[in-house]
Amino acid sequence: MSTDFNIVSEIHNDTLVMKTDGYINNTGGEKIVLEFSKHINNIKKVVIDLAKSKVVNSIGISYLLEMIETLNQNDGKLYFTNLDPTIEKTFKIMGIFQFAEKADSIDSILN
Amino acid sequence: MKQNQLVEKLSLQAESFQEGFETLIKSNSFEEITKNFWHLLRGSFLVTDIILMHKSSLESEWKLAKSEVEIKKSDLLFLSKKNQLTIKYYEKKKIDVSVVLPLSDSSYLGILLGHKLDSSGFSVFDKITLQILLQVFSSAYNSFLNEQKEKKLLFDLNEKVLQLNNLIDTGIELSRLERQNVLFELALERIASITNASSALIIIKDKENKKVADRITFPGKISTNKILKSRLKIESSFEFNKKIYRFVLSEKETRKGATSFSDLDEMLLQAIARQVQASIENEFLLKQSLEKERIEKEMSLAASIQQKIIPEKLPQIAGYELAGMNIPSREVGGDYYDCIDIGEGKYALIMADVSGKGISAALLVSTLNAALYSYLEFNLPTTELAEKLNKLIYKSSPPDKYITFFTAILDSNSGELDIVNAGHNPGLLLKKDGTLEKIEAGGTGLGMLDFGFPYTGQRLTLNKGDKLFLYTDGIPEAMNINEEEYSDEKMIEFLRNNSDLIPEEFISSIVNDVKKHVGEAEQSDDITSLFLKRI
Repeated sequence: MSTDFNIVSEIHNDTLVMKTDGYINNTGGEKIVLEFSKHINNIKKVVIDLAKSKVVNSIGISYLLEMIETLNQNDGKLYFTNLDPTIEKTFKIMGIFQFAEKADSIDSILN
Repeated sequence: MKQNQLVEKLSLQAESFQEGFETLIKSNSFEEITKNFWHLLRGSFLVTDIILMHKSSLESEWKLAKSEVEIKKSDLLFLSKKNQLTIKYYEKKKIDVSVVLPLSDSSYLGILLGHKLDSSGFSVFDKITLQILLQVFSSAYNSFLNEQKEKKLLFDLNEKVLQLNNLIDTGIELSRLERQNVLFELALERIASITNASSALIIIKDKENKKVADRITFPGKISTNKILKSRLKIESSFEFNKKIYRFVLSEKETRKGATSFSDLDEMLLQAIARQVQASIENEFLLKQSLEKERIEKEMSLAASIQQKIIPEKLPQIAGYELAGMNIPSREVGGDYYDCIDIGEGKYALIMADVSGKGISAALLVSTLNAALYSYLEFNLPTTELAEKLNKLIYKSSPPDKYITFFTAILDSNSGELDIVNAGHNPGLLLKKDGTLEKIEAGGTGLGMLDFGFPYTGQRLTLNKGDKLFLYTDGIPEAMNINEEEYSDEKMIEFLRNNSDLIPEEFISSIVNDVKKHVGEAEQSDDITSLFLKRI
């Protein structure tokens, strides 16, 4: 499997911000959920910045859905920023936006 | 405990059973449902240990699902190997209760309960409570499985819609891209995404020498060899314009690891490869069409330049008859003829042919024409004229361009001709007595070399009844469909047999004779001639 995926995360109060870089596939999805699970008890909001991720597959999406379900149970919310139009359309078709939102910027969620 | 007391106590517990069920069905994963069930058991029985095990089939090994104590292999011996619900109660053993609960997906839940904290042992009420909790878990697990199935069904359906949508979008986007590298990158991203491929590759090879012209991978940093050596891969390829385009997808991803690609994945790969092929073909055809348009424009411009240079009317020379003709070929060539009045009864007869065709040839003819008009004013000998023209053309043209040039300056009073032939077809002087002289004295074509070699001139006299015939290679080299040339011999024979015609008639006759020879073949070169007769 490819490991061409990196993630940088920051905590701002009750918000976890994750900036991804690369293909959101099995490896990418796993890394996102792993990072999320480290902070699950201390956060209410998660922002995933996809400025450097232009491709996602359905395995990656299944991890995102799993994360959304966990967040929803904890009354949390997932936001996406810097969505590539193709990824945005993909998320729309896969029903991600029924439970998560697109945000204009990271700051708009933090403030 | 009496029967009615038992029923009363159980009915008090009914609400907590319901709450337990609702908690269990909210679980999103197997880990969560077993964790919640563990807490439900903990709340119902005050026991030392609760161990939950799970195995996916009767033959599988037990795996720990939830426990807060360390498991020993010997603990598993308490779990029945039968495929039916088994509840066993023990006395004076390490544990008090063991349960094996068959589940609706053919998996099994194993439960081990330790001693009661008050050492009272499991009462009838506890046993009934355990039975009810097992039923609660079984129902909740069914509900959980159904919800998972429903989610998977919806996910799969959405995925199919996504694949179809991506396929359509990709086709449209690929057709809009001009740069091939961007096109390949997009194609790889899309096909990897819709097939869940871990990586993708395009290798472009030269069909003849099999050398790799280019290779692009997705993700960009993955090695080509890793993809090619994968056991789990599919391929599709096509050939176009002497190149082979090979698409490879490697390792279809699942949450449980890499797997083989499906028939649908192969079809999707072929569809994307076909879209890339169509895009490359369209780009190629567009380039061809633009190139054709550019050439046609150039030819049209070249034709208009040449049209302005070729004289519309030749001067009338007292005591002489003169006619000339230029029939350009489909691709505009660089033939040029003229007769320039340079005063005092002198006329410069010019016949020239520029190598190559198109705009560059037409521009060189234009340069020659301008230079001629300028130099002829100085009344130079033809050899000196040729030398000056040679230097000028050499400097102002690329190395592969040159001009074959023939000029004869006629003194119309004496009939004297001052001639130089710079690499052109020999001029033909047909004397009144029938003798024919080929005029070849001169040197190399203009612009070919600039070594300072002098041109050799020739002086002849045109007497009454003599004729001078100048032409370009478009006449002797005109070919028919069998690639047979009209030839110098046939041209000379025609000259001999028809030289008594007036020049206009002679020229139109020889052109007709050439056309008759050419037949259905295309005119490959300009046909140009000049015929001077002293009367």
